Amino acid sequence: MNCDTTDHVDGIDRRSVLAAAGAGLSFSLSGCVDTVQSVVSDAEDDQISLSLVTVPDDGNRETVRIARHLEQNLEAVGIDVTIAWRSRSEFLKMVLIDHDFDLYVGRHPADFDPDFLYEALHSTYAEESGWQNPFQYSNPTFFDPLLEEQRRADGDERRERIKPVLRALAEEKPFDPICRPDEYRVANTRFDGWGDGHLATRRGYLGLESEADAERLHALVTDARPSQNVNPLSATVDEQGTITDLLYDSLGTLVVTEDDEGVAYDVEPWLAAEPWEWEPTDEIDASESVAETDETKTDADGMLTATVTLREDCTFHDGEPVTAEDVAFTYQFLKDTARGQSASPSPAPRYRGQVSAVENIEVEDDYRLRITVDAGTEVGERALTVPILPRHIWWNEIQDRIGDLENFRAPQGRWGLVETNSVSPIGSGPFQFESQSERTYLHLERFDDHFSRRDDVDLPEPTVDELRFTVDPGSTSSISRVESGDADVTSSLLEAHSISDIPDSSDVERLESPSWTFYHLGFNTDSGPCSKTSFRQAVTQLIDKERITEKMFYGHATPLSSPVTDEWVPDDLAWDGDDPVTPFIGTDGSLNVAAARAAFEAAGFRYDDDGRLRDRY
Amino acid sequence: MLGRVLVQLVVVVMLLVFVSTALFVGRSRLRTTRSAWRRRLRAAAPITIVLVAVLLLNSVARQIVPDLSWIIDWNLTDPIHDLEGEFIIWLQAQATPSVTAYFSFMYIYGYVFLLVFPTIAYFALSETRPLRELLTAYTLNYTIGLVLYVFVIAYGPRNVMPELVDALLYDTYPQYQHLTRQVNRNTNVFPSLHTSLAVTVSMLAYRTREPYPIWNVVAAILGVSVAISTMYLGIHWAIDVVAGVVLAYVSVELASILVGRWSVSAWMGSRTLSLRTLWRR
Repeated sequence: MNCDTTDHVDGIDRRSVLAAAGAGLSFSLSGCVDTVQSVVSDAEDDQISLSLVTVPDDGNRETVRIARHLEQNLEAVGIDVTIAWRSRSEFLKMVLIDHDFDLYVGRHPADFDPDFLYEALHSTYAEESGWQNPFQYSNPTFFDPLLEEQRRADGDERRERIKPVLRALAEEKPFDPICRPDEYRVANTRFDGWGDGHLATRRGYLGLESEADAERLHALVTDARPSQNVNPLSATVDEQGTITDLLYDSLGTLVVTEDDEGVAYDVEPWLAAEPWEWEPTDEIDASESVAETDETKTDADGMLTATVTLREDCTFHDGEPVTAEDVAFTYQFLKDTARGQSASPSPAPRYRGQVSAVENIEVEDDYRLRITVDAGTEVGERALTVPILPRHIWWNEIQDRIGDLENFRAPQGRWGLVETNSVSPIGSGPFQFESQSERTYLHLERFDDHFSRRDDVDLPEPTVDELRFTVDPGSTSSISRVESGDADVTSSLLEAHSISDIPDSSDVERLESPSWTFYHLGFNTDSGPCSKTSFRQAVTQLIDKERITEKMFYGHATPLSSPVTDEWVPDDLAWDGDDPVTPFIGTDGSLNVAAARAAFEAAGFRYDDDGRLRDRY
Repeated sequence: MLGRVLVQLVVVVMLLVFVSTALFVGRSRLRTTRSAWRRRLRAAAPITIVLVAVLLLNSVARQIVPDLSWIIDWNLTDPIHDLEGEFIIWLQAQATPSVTAYFSFMYIYGYVFLLVFPTIAYFALSETRPLRELLTAYTLNYTIGLVLYVFVIAYGPRNVMPELVDALLYDTYPQYQHLTRQVNRNTNVFPSLHTSLAVTVSMLAYRTREPYPIWNVVAAILGVSVAISTMYLGIHWAIDVVAGVVLAYVSVELASILVGRWSVSAWMGSRTLSLRTLWRR
C-alpha cells in the first residue's frame, strides 16, 4: 500500500465516494487514510473523521469489544469513526509497517522489562517500520533523555528513573494501556511439569515428563500465522516470539519465577556456558564497533562490558557450528539487515530496543566474545535474549538479494528478507523445523544435538520427539480438545469468555502465568487531530477501563494506567478505581456525553450546529 | 476431532438420503434407473466433469484468494454493518436452546443433505435435464461466488459484533468449527454460498414439483431454514443472504439457458460424421 498523492482517491471527496457507492458502501480505498483525510478537511464539511483499525473475533473477541466500546463513545461525542477490520498479519502490517491508521486497538507483546518503552517511544524510531515506535511519536528534547537515563541505571535507581517516563507517558498518551489480561491456558495431565516454565517462552515446552513416554507434544494455537511463516525477523507473523524461542537459541534465556513476594524475571545463561559478569568498559576498539552512528563513541563512560563464553561444540540444525562469529553477525545484522550494502541502514522491524543497547562486540576466539552495552546490567541482559542467527544462511540470503549493487535498495522493515517465508528456519534451538501446512499446523522435531540434552548440562531439555502446533481458532473448542486428550496444551492464551468453560476434571490442568502483555489504544501522532496531545487525552477519557475488565473480560484482567508490570508503577500512577490522570468521563460504563464534549472543547476543538466535532479551531 | 465430526456428518446425511429416497423417489423409479443408468450417466458426465474441475480449482484458488483480496482491499465489513444495522442482533434475541439446536442442525446436516439428495432424486428421473441443470447451477454458484470472494473482503457478524454471544454456532457446538473452517475462510462471507446453493435446490425443486411434489415442499422449508440459520448463528449478514438468493436465481436461470445448448455427443457425432464423409470421398 503506497500512499502517494497521485493515488486514485486524489481529488475525490470521501463523501462523494460514499454517495457514489449508493447504498453507502464505502470501500476503504487502498486504505490511504492520510490522503483521504487531507481531502476531507479541505471540504466545507469538516467533521473529524478517524479510522480505527482492529482485528476480528476469531481468537480476539475482547479486542472487538473494546473497539466497539470506543467507536460508540467517539460517535457519541460527534466524531465520525470507520472501523477497518484486518486479519492479524494485515493488521500489524497496516499499523507497524505502513503506519496507515489514526487509531488502533490491539494487544502489545510488551516485555518483561520496561525497557520495551525505549523502542516504543524513542524519537529515533519515529520514521522506522516495525515494533519500534509505530505511533511515530517524537519528543526528542523531553522524552528521549528520560528513556536513555533509565536504561543506564539499575535496581532502585532505575526504578526512580522510570517514574518520570511513566508519568510523561500518562500525560502525553502516544498510546493508552487499557488492561492486562490474565494469562490462562489449559494442559492435559498426560504430561507433568506444566508451569515450570512460562508457556510464552521456550522453557514452557522443555523438561515435560510423561508417564507413558509420549512421543508427541500437541499444542494448539488460535493463530494461523505460525503455520505460514516463521521468519524470526518479521514484525507481522508472531507477536510473542514463542516459536522463534524454540527454533533459535539466545545467549541468555528468560526465567520467570513466581513466589509469595511476587514475580521475578531473570535472564540466565543459555547458549552462554556460564554466567557473565558486567564490568565498566575501559575503551572501545572502534574497528569492531556495531554502533548505529558513524561516530563511534570512544567515550566509554558509563558503559558495561561482559565477556560471554559460548557452549562448545554446539551446531545449528544443518550441522554447521555455532561460533562467536554468528553471535557478532546477529547483532550487526539486526541493526542493519542490508549489512551496509544499501544506501541507508535497514534495521530489523523487531528486537530494535534490545540491539540498540549493544555498543560494541569483540570476538576473541571461536567461543569467546566481549559485549559492550551502553546501558545498565538489566537492559544489558535483555539484549542477550535475541535469537542467534546462522551467519552462513543469512549472509547468503543477503548476497542473493543484492544482485545489482547499483540499484540495490532495502526499504527498512518491508524488504523481502524481513518478510519472506523462504529463508530456511535454521537455528540452533531445542526444536527444529520439520514442516508446515498453511492454516493447519506447524510441525517441529526435537534437535537431538541440542546442548540441553548433554549429561553435564543441568537445564530442562526437549523430552518429546515431535512438537506440533495445530491451528484451532476457537478457545472454547481448544479447551474441549485438551480435555478429550486430542491435544496437550493451549499455547495461545485463552480468551476471557472461555475461561469459565474450563472443566473441573482431573485430566485437565488450568495454568495461570504471570503476564506482561496488555491491550492498548494506539494513536498515529504524526498527523490529523491525533497529533495533538489534548485530543489524545480527551479520547482516552472515553474508555471505561474498569468496566471493560468487568464486562468484557469477566474480571480476568486488570485495568492499567501504566503499561509496565506492577512493581514498576509509581504510587501516584497506581490504579485507584479509575485512571489517575485521564479518568473515564461517566459512570458505570455510560458516558457523560455533555461532559465528554466539554472535554473536547477544552482541548481546543469546537462543535457545529449539528453537534459534530470539527477540525478547525 | 475433525474425523469424528465428519463420520457423524456422513452417517446422518446417508440416513436422511436413504429415508428420503424411499419416500420421494419410490421403488418403480429406482427399478427403471437400474436399466437406464448408463445412458443417464453418459448424459450427465460432461457437466459432472466440469463441476469436479471447478471444485478442485476452487479448493486451490481459496489458498490464493485471500492474499489477492487483501491487495484489492475492498473491505465491506463496516459498510454492511452500518447499512443493515442491528437486524442480526434482533434475530438472535429470539434465541432459545431448541431453536439454536434446530438451526445448527440445519446449517450443518440439513445443508449437506439438501445438496446431496437432489442429485439422486434427479438421477432417478428418465428425463436427465433436471440433473444437468442442477449440476450446472452448482457449477455457476461456485464460479461466480469465487469471483465475488476475490473482490470482496467482509467478516461475518460473529467476528465483528461482540454483542452476539448467546447463540453462536462455534460457542454452542465448538466441534463444528473444525469442519467449517476446512471449507470456509472467515473473510469470505459475501455472498452466502450456503444460502445460494440451498436456494438453488429449492428453486429447482419448484420446477420439478410435478414428479416430486412433496420434495418441493421439503426443499422449500430446508432452503429457508438454511438461509435463516446462517444469520441466526451469526455467520452471515442479511445482505450476504440476499446476495445469495440473487446468486441462486441467476445460476438457475443461466443453467436453464445453458443446458442443452451444447451437446458433447452431438459434437462428437458430427465430427465422426464429417470424418466419414471425408473417407467416402
